[in-house]
Amino acid sequence: MTPDSNIRRRALLKVGIAGTASLALPLAAVAARSYGFEAAEVADGVWLIAGAQDSLNRDNGGAIANTVLLRTGQGAIVIDTGSTALMGAEIRAFADQRLGGVAATLNTHHHPDHWFGNAAFADAPILSLGPTAQAAALNGQGYSDALYSILGPWMSGTTPVPPQSPVQPGAQSLAGRALTLMPLAGHTEADLAILDADTGTLIAGDLLFLDRAPTLPDADMATWRASLDSLGALQPSGTIPGHGPFHRSSAALAQTRAYLEATDARLMRAAELGLTPAEAMAAGPVPDFAGLGAMPEEYHRSVVQRWADYEQRALTTISDA
Amino acid sequence: MSALLTQLLPGGGPVRQDAAPGKADPWDSGMWPLHRADWLGDPADWRNDAAVVVLGPEAAEDAMHVPFTLDATGVGAVERIVVTIDYSPIPQVLTFWPGRARPLLGFGVKYESGSPLRASVQRAGGGWRMGARYVSAMGGGCTAPAAAHGQPDWQEGFGEMRARLWPDTGRLRVWLRHPQDTGLAPGIAAHHLTEMVLEDDAGQIARLELHAPVEENPALTFLLPEDVSGPVTIRARDTMGYRFVGEVAA
Repeated sequence: MTPDSNIRRRALLKVGIAGTASLALPLAAVAARSYGFEAAEVADGVWLIAGAQDSLNRDNGGAIANTVLLRTGQGAIVIDTGSTALMGAEIRAFADQRLGGVAATLNTHHHPDHWFGNAAFADAPILSLGPTAQAAALNGQGYSDALYSILGPWMSGTTPVPPQSPVQPGAQSLAGRALTLMPLAGHTEADLAILDADTGTLIAGDLLFLDRAPTLPDADMATWRASLDSLGALQPSGTIPGHGPFHRSSAALAQTRAYLEATDARLMRAAELGLTPAEAMAAGPVPDFAGLGAMPEEYHRSVVQRWADYEQRALTTISDA
Repeated sequence: MSALLTQLLPGGGPVRQDAAPGKADPWDSGMWPLHRADWLGDPADWRNDAAVVVLGPEAAEDAMHVPFTLDATGVGAVERIVVTIDYSPIPQVLTFWPGRARPLLGFGVKYESGSPLRASVQRAGGGWRMGARYVSAMGGGCTAPAAAHGQPDWQEGFGEMRARLWPDTGRLRVWLRHPQDTGLAPGIAAHHLTEMVLEDDAGQIARLELHAPVEENPALTFLLPEDVSGPVTIRARDTMGYRFVGEVAA
């Protein structure tokens, strides 16, 4: 990014934020594209729009994260809104047509594939944990640059609309639906998991992945494992991970835990043996997990993102000038 | 035989260079003929060679820290290795004189746009052999200020050196806290390392000439010769005259 393009993009961003109050999505400009979502009702009043088990790319248009809609008497509670304005608009259209509109939106964490569709939901509260709202606002511009670069025309009309309001965690009624909002962390500094009381469905956000490689750009391995312990103490009737299919077993919990432990051990071993990060990358993911979606590129990203954590432990200070 | 250690991780097999060997530039880059003339002196004996292995990512996940490892141990006796990036605002990354060390180097760079990074290896006889890797990048590496300058206390810890020596593989890794400013970010002067030298009781082991595209807080990996048994002294200096020194033993 050159300084010039940075300034230009920021100017556009201001216009975009000013324009979101009217929800004036430039749909005409993007009408040629469509995600063509299919939503499935996986439990009573729990609808899932499943993301592709892949990395962000132009084939999937950025539709990689799961979106969940909970039916209430006042419209849908929308959990995560996708990567683009168009994706948000299509989710919104489903909520309007099938669930009587939108009562509230929740963003589980600050990664852009979970909230860059927010503009379509700005006429009702968009809620998240406090640190999520702060991190989304802080990183929105950088995420926008990256997503425009990766997704190209799929991003038409997308401006970051970070969640505004901190959500109160705990057991509560949201738009008349009984939920337990669990403030956890480890995948990011703040990860919201949601337990739907009526159906016993756990909506885990990116604390859980199934058959798709977990992403680690903001991961704290020890904190994440502690959050998995918290989720493991629940007895959900079914689980919706942040990425991966709805399922009625503990498969995502077991696989995510195993992946984190194995990858943590691999990177520590690489740093302890004196490998360079480029060598650790070239060796590829832990063989047991090489078949997950978004492999090996997600492992390659993780090496760059997390390498310093391990190297700092492996090296000794020999001078303090 | 490769001196890379990828096989030490389960599933990690041998690595080879995939660009077609020969006298043509595999990337047909507009800049390469100029760089080849400027830094290699337009040598008659030059070709792309799979014996020069360059490991790096396909895409720059973090444009400020793009990790590479180059292994020219399959080339024979090496005089120097010149590392350049075709479409960087500052194409010259570093020159490595392995000396008594083996011609292997790990390092990280900043990336401004999608481009090949090239390792040009001058053999002791004079001919040049190249290995390269293309990395796609969206920029922000060279013209962005160092992260250190976003913090008021950036000088705290400046010059801190960390290192470790692995006697069984001969690896030496050294990390130095340094902003590595390119001078391309508005209002921030160039301030980067210019030289790093490894020494032991027998004298100089290897020497590295560094330029601005090397990553902030650089981490460098060397492969020491088998005759090194005692401690190794690492000396470095930068554009502002600061000198850094540390000693590491097995």
